[in-house]
Order: sequence, then C-alpha cells, then structure tokens
Amino acid sequence: MGELGVNHFLFLSAALFIIGMMGVLVRRNLIIIFMCVELMMNAVNLTLVAFAWESNTMNGQSFALFTIAVAAAEAAVGLAIIMALSRRQSTIDADEIRSLRD
Amino acid sequence: MLVELSNLPGPDWGLMLPQLAVFGLALVLLFGDAFMARAQHFRVLTGVSLVGYGLATALLWTQDGRNEATFFGLFRADGLTVFLSLVILVAALLTVMVSASYVDRLEGRMPIGEFYVLLAFSVLGALMVAAAGDLVMIFVGIELSSLATYILTAFAKRRLGAVEGALKYFLLGIFASAILVYGMAWIYGATGTTDLDGIARALQTATAGDEFLEPSLLLALLLTIVGLGFKMAAVPFHFWTPDAYDGAATPVTAFMSVVPKAAAFAATIRLLVQALGPMRDDWLNLIAVLAFVTMAFGNVVAVAQRNVKRMLAYSSIAHTGYMMVGLAVYRQQGGFDVGGGATGGDQGVTSLLYYILAYTVMNIGAFAVVAWLQHRGRGLTLDDFAGLASTQPLAAAAMTVFLLSLMGIPPTIGFRAKYEVILAAINADTAAGLALAISIVVLSAVSAFYYLRVVAVMYFDEPARTPRTESTPLLNVGIGAMAVATLLLGVFFSGQLIDLADRWSRALTVVAQAGGGG
Repeated sequence: MGELGVNHFLFLSAALFIIGMMGVLVRRNLIIIFMCVELMMNAVNLTLVAFAWESNTMNGQSFALFTIAVAAAEAAVGLAIIMALSRRQSTIDADEIRSLRD
Repeated sequence: MLVELSNLPGPDWGLMLPQLAVFGLALVLLFGDAFMARAQHFRVLTGVSLVGYGLATALLWTQDGRNEATFFGLFRADGLTVFLSLVILVAALLTVMVSASYVDRLEGRMPIGEFYVLLAFSVLGALMVAAAGDLVMIFVGIELSSLATYILTAFAKRRLGAVEGALKYFLLGIFASAILVYGMAWIYGATGTTDLDGIARALQTATAGDEFLEPSLLLALLLTIVGLGFKMAAVPFHFWTPDAYDGAATPVTAFMSVVPKAAAFAATIRLLVQALGPMRDDWLNLIAVLAFVTMAFGNVVAVAQRNVKRMLAYSSIAHTGYMMVGLAVYRQQGGFDVGGGATGGDQGVTSLLYYILAYTVMNIGAFAVVAWLQHRGRGLTLDDFAGLASTQPLAAAAMTVFLLSLMGIPPTIGFRAKYEVILAAINADTAAGLALAISIVVLSAVSAFYYLRVVAVMYFDEPARTPRTESTPLLNVGIGAMAVATLLLGVFFSGQLIDLADRWSRALTVVAQAGGGG
C-alpha cells in the first residue's frame, strides 16, 4: 500500500455511501433514515474533494461547498416536516405511517 | 487555470432576464407577504404573481434565437432553455389561476403569501435547471425546485395525508438527490470537469480502452439515471408519486405533476444528451426499458383506482413513460458539434419537448376541474363525479376535453403530442423504437378504459346531490383557457410550437462564451 492515493479516498467514500444507502433501506426511524441520507451526501463530498485533489481542478471543491449548503437546507425542511408529522401522530416509525394506501 | 481577478469578465445580466424576473417576483412576494395587511394578500399577491410570470414569459423572447452562455458557462440561453422555460412559466401561470381561491378558502385557509413565495422559488429552480450549463447548476436548480415543492406538498398541514405525502416525497427525494449527485461526482472524476460541453468533449477524445474511464463512467451513468428516474417518477422509482399526489392540496398536485417533472426532464436532456451524448449506446436501451415499464405499470395500475386524484397520479406516471420514449429513440450522431453548425433537431427529443407542453395544459386542466369540484363540496372519488353533466355541464365538458386529450383522441393537443412521439419512435428505425411505438398504441387503448369511465360516470349516472354554488372567477378563466388550448393547439399553431421545440438541438453546438472563462 504505502502511499496514500486517491483510490483510498474513493473506497472510503464508496463505503460510507453504501452504509448510508443500506441504512435508508433497512432502518425504520425517520430521523435515522434522514441521518443516513446525510451520510450519503457527505460521502459525495469526500468523493468530490478527492477527485478535485487528484485532477488539480477547483470545480470539485466548489461543488462540495454547494452540496453542503443544499444538505443544510434539506435538514431544515426535513426536520420541519417530521415535526409537523409527529404533532399529528405520536410516532415517527416509517412502518406506522400509512394512512395513504390504495 | 489562473486568472487575474481584475481581468475577470463581468457576467452578462441581459442574457438571463426571464430568470431574474422570477427571482425579483419571489423577493417582491416575500416582502409583500411580510409587510402588507393580511386582508390584501389574496388580491394583491395573486395579481403580482400573474403579472410577474407574464412578464417573465414575455422576456423569454429576448433569449430566443440566441445561443450564448455566461457566468463561465454555468448559465446558457439556447433553444432548450427557451422552450422548457416557456413550459415551466405557462405551468406557473396556470397554477396561480388554479390555486388562488383554493388556498384562500379550502383546507382551513392556508397563508397565500407564503404559498406564492414557495411557488416562485420552485419555478426559479426549474428555470435554472432548464438553463444549466454545468453539473453544479443542474444540482442546485433541482434542489431549489424540489425543496420548495416538498414544503408546498405539506402546505395543507392540518390534514395528516398532506404531511405524510410530503414526508414520503421528501425522504425519497433527498435519497434520489444523494444518488444523483454521487453520479455527478463520478462524472466529474472521470472527465475532470463539471462543464457539460467539457464533459462531452472529454468523452469524445477519450481513448476506447481506458481502464479507469469506462467502469467509472458506467457507474456514474447508472447512478445518474436512478437519481433522475426518482425525480421524474419513472417505474421502478415511483413509490412516492401516488401518495404525494394524493396527499397534497389539489392545485399543488397540479403543479408538482408538471414543473418538477419538466425540471427532471430538463436535467435528463442536459445530462444524458448534451454531456453524455457520446456514450448514448450505453444509456439508450436502459431508457427504452424504463420507458416501457413506466407506461405499462402506470396504465395498468390506474385502471384499479376509484379515487380520481389517485387515478390521475398513476396516469401521470404513464405519461412519463410516453415522454421517455422520445428520449429512448434519440439517435443524432455525436453529442457535440465542434464545427458550430446547427444541425436539425433530433425528432425524438423534439417530440419529448412538445409532449411536455401538451401534458402541461391537459394535466393541470384535469386537476383544475377536480379543484373546481372541491370548491363545490364534492369529493375525489368516482362517485363524486356522478351526474356532473346534468348539474354542471360546462365543468363536465371541460373535464371530458382534458380526459380525451390525455387519452390521445384527435383533434386535441394530446393526440398531436402522442402522434409526434410515435412518429419519432417509428422513424428511429430500430426494433426497440418499433416495439415502443406499438406499446404506446396498445397502452393508450388500456388508458381509454379508466379515462372514459370518468366520462361515462359524469354523463350517464344520476347526480347524487345538489351542488353548492360558489364563485371562483380566476379558476373558471383558467379552466376555460386550458380547455380551449387543449382543443385548438393540436390543430392550430402546432407547427410553430414544434419548430420552437426543434431548436433545442442548438444546445449541442459550441456556444459563444459571453461571460468568458471555459
């Protein structure tokens, strides 16, 4: 192995992305699902910065900044919606939310 | 690339007037909502919205015929920008007409100022995607549009269904965004640039046997298509659609069935055709399969629906499938015309663009009639439409026009749009194109069942109760305009509209970089 290369970062971020994705698919608590998506977004940031570092361009760095800003906005909206839901019913378990079904 | 800061060319603000107009509208609405007496909100802010979107639509002509980029290629004004912006702004105008009285009176009187502000930001995000020349711009535009739409979905927050639909939409939406942006990161990694034209250029010069490039690009392509599939509600990424459409207030459903979908298709055309056009052999078949599954699933499941709003939700999934056919038969050679000479537009993408316009008018129209009935105390199930023709003949006639158009019966605009898509599929001269053309025809026959069922209930059943009378002038004007447009645009002006759509291909030529950089 020796030197730290871009592939190490890519593997790490791919692992983070897959962990986040599995979390979204497996976990049932809405807050946890939301955190898992945030983990996926952070994996993306790591990928972008790693590629920027490798290719010596700034696009990836600035893209990562935009992604962070968007993730923050998502957090504000998402938590507000989860709040609104928990006021109407006492649970935030994804399996308990099924008033809309065919 | 090192640039002297003082030598940086200034952006060309004159190139983005329509987008700036909508941004200005959003700010005016925000301040109007904050500083005006609540009693005036309905009248003044509705007027301001209508004028603002009208102005932005008129300003689109300043972008027509230009093919330029500014902000270092981030923002582009080309044929694709103009046509998709036209669709989005028309949808915004119609949504204001449909939603004004609904938001003000039904579901516990929602705050109309905030509603218009969120609407304006969602429209602005969609316009940004339509004018995007860079991956960052596509991502930020989609997110701006989606975030505002999530809140709009939850806007009727006193009803549990609205919040629940918004929650499903939100969670799957951000999940899709994360997948999409991961795909974008890999595109950037493989090509070293986020500029769409730069990506196409890098792909064309790439050597065929590059060990790293090929798998990473295929991964990027797959992630991107999955992410975009969620956004445009293609099967198998559609789970959120029926719940979100059913839960949201009806005017919001009308809006979100059109504008976020138009934004998603804008992003798809920009990404797949403009940037990844050189590797279209890798994505054409995938899109063809998705198109078939989407239209088959949407049509078959819609048959089982008794709730008209939910039926229209599944029907909108089916229409996504028809639109994707236009993309699946894209066949223009190369994605990037280095010579700069504009070639004729690809028929598939042109038909897709025209279909979005037709879909906008007829689909918002159908939801508008549902909202009209809700004003008069009727519900959303099929039984609520019973005998509509004898009690409210005009509404029944308008609904019939919209449903026949969605079905694709001549001379409506829906027929013309479907005809163009089928023609493009046949002209593609491939087995997949032919199969898709046949599936559209067969599945349209299936769709006739559930559309005509509503018509039959309206005309042949006995009315269950006497309707409430209520005055909704703006909504009436909107429904009337959409009904006339649905009936006549398929016959008159369709040539001009298709010509306008056809100019999208100029997006593929090198643009003069007014804003420098590159």
